[in-house]
Amino acid sequence: MFLNELFLPVLMVTFMLTVGAYVVAVLDRLIAGALGTPQAGSVWLAPMARGAWLMIQHANATEAPDWQAWRLAPALYLALAAIGLAVVPWSESLVATDLVTSVVLWGSVEALATVVIFLHGWSANALLALIGGYRYVALGLSYILISMFVLIGVALPAESLQFTQVVASQEALWNVIRQPLGLPLFLIVGLGMTFWGPLNLADSTDLAGGTASEISGPPRLVWDVARAAMLVAFSGVAASAFLGGWLGPWLPGPLWMAIKMLAVLLVLLLLGRLLPRIAPERCVTLMWVVLLPLSFLDLVWAGIGALL
Amino acid sequence: MNHGTGVDIAFLLLATLAVVTGWRVFRTDSMVRASFFLLVSFIAVGVIMILLAAEYLGVAMFFMMAVEMTVMALFMVMFMMNPAGLNPMNMVHQERISIGAGVVGFLVLGAMALFAAFPDQPVSASLDPVKSLGNEMLGDSMLIFESAGLVLLTTMIGVVVLSSHRGRYGAAAEGSLPPGLEPGGDPAGKPEEDEEGEDGGHQHHHHHH
Repeated sequence: MFLNELFLPVLMVTFMLTVGAYVVAVLDRLIAGALGTPQAGSVWLAPMARGAWLMIQHANATEAPDWQAWRLAPALYLALAAIGLAVVPWSESLVATDLVTSVVLWGSVEALATVVIFLHGWSANALLALIGGYRYVALGLSYILISMFVLIGVALPAESLQFTQVVASQEALWNVIRQPLGLPLFLIVGLGMTFWGPLNLADSTDLAGGTASEISGPPRLVWDVARAAMLVAFSGVAASAFLGGWLGPWLPGPLWMAIKMLAVLLVLLLLGRLLPRIAPERCVTLMWVVLLPLSFLDLVWAGIGALL
Repeated sequence: MNHGTGVDIAFLLLATLAVVTGWRVFRTDSMVRASFFLLVSFIAVGVIMILLAAEYLGVAMFFMMAVEMTVMALFMVMFMMNPAGLNPMNMVHQERISIGAGVVGFLVLGAMALFAAFPDQPVSASLDPVKSLGNEMLGDSMLIFESAGLVLLTTMIGVVVLSSHRGRYGAAAEGSLPPGLEPGGDPAGKPEEDEEGEDGGHQHHHHHH
């Protein structure tokens, strides 16, 4: 019981955290290289070298920070990514935590991420970090709302709040076709929640690094790994909710899941490299005026589909 | 009692966490810290609810309290003369009344826990808590929940309208004024004295000296 219910799930999630973060770093370097940005060092070794270098660096200290929150925030963000990875089903039975409300649990991960990112910026007691934290809260609320409506949409045909049931409900038709607005909206939420690429407004260069502007050494390593792991967790959830998870012919389920997760990751990283960053004020307007109504439309579409 | 020792250990740890963080809410010196200590306390209670097989209510506690505490912390900081919430400030006031209320509350709840006759009616294992909660909320109690939801939605829209910088008569940053009653006239709805001439206003000013 101890082995099956505690040790194996923890081992599985830890494995996905480390491998996932490494895959994100490698893929991002490959994409950057292919798009013409020169990359120093070997694609496969450079992420490890950077990690090792950060491990031995000095951890920066600001004047009178909130030490507990400042040191805990990167670890908590990593923990949230781990919770996200724990609810992603790899097959009908291979899932770390098959909670009956796992879709809602993922929604809470998104909400708690707002708290953790704000705390990370706030606790440094530094101007630019604080602005980054406030900026994320202003944007994070709209990400959460969009994601919530889109996820209610995928729970409707499944008649369940459990990711394994959501995947099983896509046996005949994947949600990406059944609810065409869902996946594009969810991808935008994913870039926003991990503040990646065009939606990197919390840790952006115009704030000299934003919430991460004052951290160095091991805390910075944890923060970077956590963001990459969150992107992996996000692509796992997107693959389960919209791309039929483990479903697919010929190959075994977990392999299909890995292929779909990689595909979502590739799209996200490519978007991250290709799209320009938008100004935060415009981004808030875009979220509330354009994308949130679109998510309502997606939910109405899903509701009508469930009624018919 | 058909649960394992793991559940008991988890309950004791979580209950301790909930009480200790709840106590820290009042001992800390910053509104942001107090809000997030309260959040940790609520999360611990939410996990206890999951242990009690209330899977939906427990998880709902996480996301509701996460958003609520963030918004609360930011609004408190916005309305206080402590811009970042990092400056120390006293988080307790009206101590005598609070101590009295705390002691009375503890005694009442403790007495209930000790002396009340709790019903012993185990539900069947086939009962799906999420489904039965949904039936309850959208069945007999639908009117209550839907009206509460509508009121909350109205409040949220009202808050967004009030806090938006774009008012009815233009952006707040540009000093928005209502249009005049006749074309090119003074802005409508201004106080009486502003519509008097320069002299009138001046005299009024002198009077106060």
